[in-house]
Amino acid sequence: MAKRFALTRWLMIVTASLVANPGMGDDWPQFRGPHLGGMSSKSKLPDKFDGESGSNIAWKTPIPGRSVSGAIVLGDQVITTTSDGLEQRRIRLLSYDAKSGKLRWEQQLVARGRPYCHPTSANAAPTPASDGKHVVAFFSSNDIACTDLQGNLLWYRSLASDFPKAGNDVGMSASPAIVDGIVVVQVECQGDSFALGMSVADGTTAWKQERPRKANWASPTPVILPSGKSAVVMQSSENLVAVNPADGKELWKIDMGCSTTPSSTVANGRLIVPSGGLTALDLSSAGAPSKLWFENKLNTTACSPLVDNDKVYIVNRTILVCGDLFTGKVLWQLRIPDANQIWSSPVISGNRLYLFSMDGSCAVVSLEAEEGKIESINKLEDEVLGSPAIAGNAMYVRGAKNLWKIEAK
Amino acid sequence: MKKNVSGLVFLLALQFAPLLTGSSIALADVNPQQLEIFRKVQPSDEVAVAQASKLAKELSTRGDLQSLTALRAMKGASSLGKNWLLGLANAAQNRQAASKADLEAFLKDQNQDPEARYTVFRWLVEGNVEARKQWLASMTEDSSPEIRYEAIELALEPTDLPEAKLQLLLDSARQPEQVTAIIQRLDKLGVKVDQAKHFGFLTQWKFVGPFDNVGSNKFDMAYPVEADFVAGKLADGYTGKTGAVSWVSETSSSSEGLVDLAKLFNNEKGCIVYGVAEVNSAKEVACELRVGCINAQKLWVNGELVIANEVYHTGMQVDQYIAPIKLKAGVNKILIKVCQNEQKEAWAQRYIFQARICDSTGKAVPLN
Repeated sequence: MAKRFALTRWLMIVTASLVANPGMGDDWPQFRGPHLGGMSSKSKLPDKFDGESGSNIAWKTPIPGRSVSGAIVLGDQVITTTSDGLEQRRIRLLSYDAKSGKLRWEQQLVARGRPYCHPTSANAAPTPASDGKHVVAFFSSNDIACTDLQGNLLWYRSLASDFPKAGNDVGMSASPAIVDGIVVVQVECQGDSFALGMSVADGTTAWKQERPRKANWASPTPVILPSGKSAVVMQSSENLVAVNPADGKELWKIDMGCSTTPSSTVANGRLIVPSGGLTALDLSSAGAPSKLWFENKLNTTACSPLVDNDKVYIVNRTILVCGDLFTGKVLWQLRIPDANQIWSSPVISGNRLYLFSMDGSCAVVSLEAEEGKIESINKLEDEVLGSPAIAGNAMYVRGAKNLWKIEAK
Repeated sequence: MKKNVSGLVFLLALQFAPLLTGSSIALADVNPQQLEIFRKVQPSDEVAVAQASKLAKELSTRGDLQSLTALRAMKGASSLGKNWLLGLANAAQNRQAASKADLEAFLKDQNQDPEARYTVFRWLVEGNVEARKQWLASMTEDSSPEIRYEAIELALEPTDLPEAKLQLLLDSARQPEQVTAIIQRLDKLGVKVDQAKHFGFLTQWKFVGPFDNVGSNKFDMAYPVEADFVAGKLADGYTGKTGAVSWVSETSSSSEGLVDLAKLFNNEKGCIVYGVAEVNSAKEVACELRVGCINAQKLWVNGELVIANEVYHTGMQVDQYIAPIKLKAGVNKILIKVCQNEQKEAWAQRYIFQARICDSTGKAVPLN
């Protein structure tokens, strides 16, 4: 009973904090959306679409270069990144009109860090983030730039110049998070390995924390603590740490081996941590969260877990697995037919889950019945590695070569 | 109220000025000296970041900076400063595009910063395939590596280029994959190019090892080979991981100058191998040592440590690590320390490197 009360109080705090963030209502301001859950319960997306025929494709805009990041949506702007030119050293932040798909503004810089990566990836790998006033673009080369919503450069830093051994030639991909005016990035590799908090206003360092000298591609996860204060959770193969975004001070640490590709998810007072399976932690009480359950059958390969309607969804290679949020018990699993590699974290809209595989085919899975059912397999003529964004009744998909708007016609 | 009306009149005047004058609004430009703050930004200089950010906001609010003014200021700026200026130039161009004539003049001016010129090139040809082709047709020797690369890529599009044209493009090309592609096309025409020599890869080596690196904790441990190399007197043999070890000669026959230490040292894990190469330069020359290596490595030139990367199995490519060096006239000695760890994954078994000496553009320097 006490636990239920704590959870309810926590949810009230979270709701209040979301309401207190005006202008972000229908936006998709960061990797996996406004609440990091990859969900948009209000949107009505089509069950079927087709890139070749243009069925339910509002527009498709080719973008030079290559990107494996996701797009973000801010009001009537869809913002994404790309990298092109010699060694993918030209790093670009582009804003498109959500209605027409036409370019509105562009920023373009030159990577000062290592732009090298596996051919599957790109220098433009992290998804940009926004607090509604600033747009922060981060790249595998550890160049980071901040603009306003009109594309004016507000600040720029080359973290690889500040910390010359920062980098991973497989490619880096952790997306930035903006919490309480601080931009948090995880730069974790075998060389200079650290997390950094920077003022979103001017880019100056608020704090720096040393991190394990091991490759890590997981993104920082903002959470709201029972006290109502913000924290940022960072996972690594060695531990799970929560820090105060204002000063980087450690709030709690749990020694546990976390996954280094998929990121954690927050839902219903629980922190869902990919960890060679899935670990659910109770965020509703003060101090280090206690473990609620661990389920090794919920082992997500690359996609971050997704929570909706008291169920948790993960993708193990090409199998979508649904588990009970409260117990971790596996409820059903579904093989995605003809899927090759899946890197793109799925999203949910209404009672449909949208899961893209790398070849651009999207499985639309109905979540209405007791078990998931594939409604359709839809093809975009593009590689898709980034997670889609949902705003209004549209889904924006950043393919490697194009930006797509999918909307019922 | 009166103040508001006059403000409105001013805004309307700005709005309709192009119609009245028949040209774009010529806003007052900023004094280039104001941009000095950006030009001087250095790594880890937080004060400079704060100052630059403050000024960037002011300039954005004023809106009077013109794109070419920012791009001109890139010449001689620090590498970080160039990006600040590039960002300001992009925003200015978003606000009010420079005239085509001004952009063309800037692109033709080889004295401007190469990255700035390439930016202007993009502005000029974005979405205009024909314009791009016309510009690039005469730019295969351009001083901007980015422009040169694109020009050569375009020139290589026809599949039936004759040998003479390919040879010209080979002389111009610097980007490793582009160079390799041209050499392969020449090969199909029956023209053999010594690729390793063209790149300047070091192919003659002497190695000694293995030395212990169990636990991957000997990267910074100086085995006697290092001190001897710095002192300029290498011994014939040393005490290795499992006993006495002595130098063995190896000549790489790889067109990419690859030296496979796993093959040479029986797939030894948790170990370190040292290699020495000598190059003879006719004169003192400033150049670059460029290395590709899948393992942790250190390199010394004539006793001076120039490269150190304690990174295992995260990718490898030509020119992965670059260090400026100075060769003296006569014999120059290069020492490489290559460390292998004990990872068991199939993709973590490689123990391999390549090294070359070239000028700052990537062209091999003449050596014996």
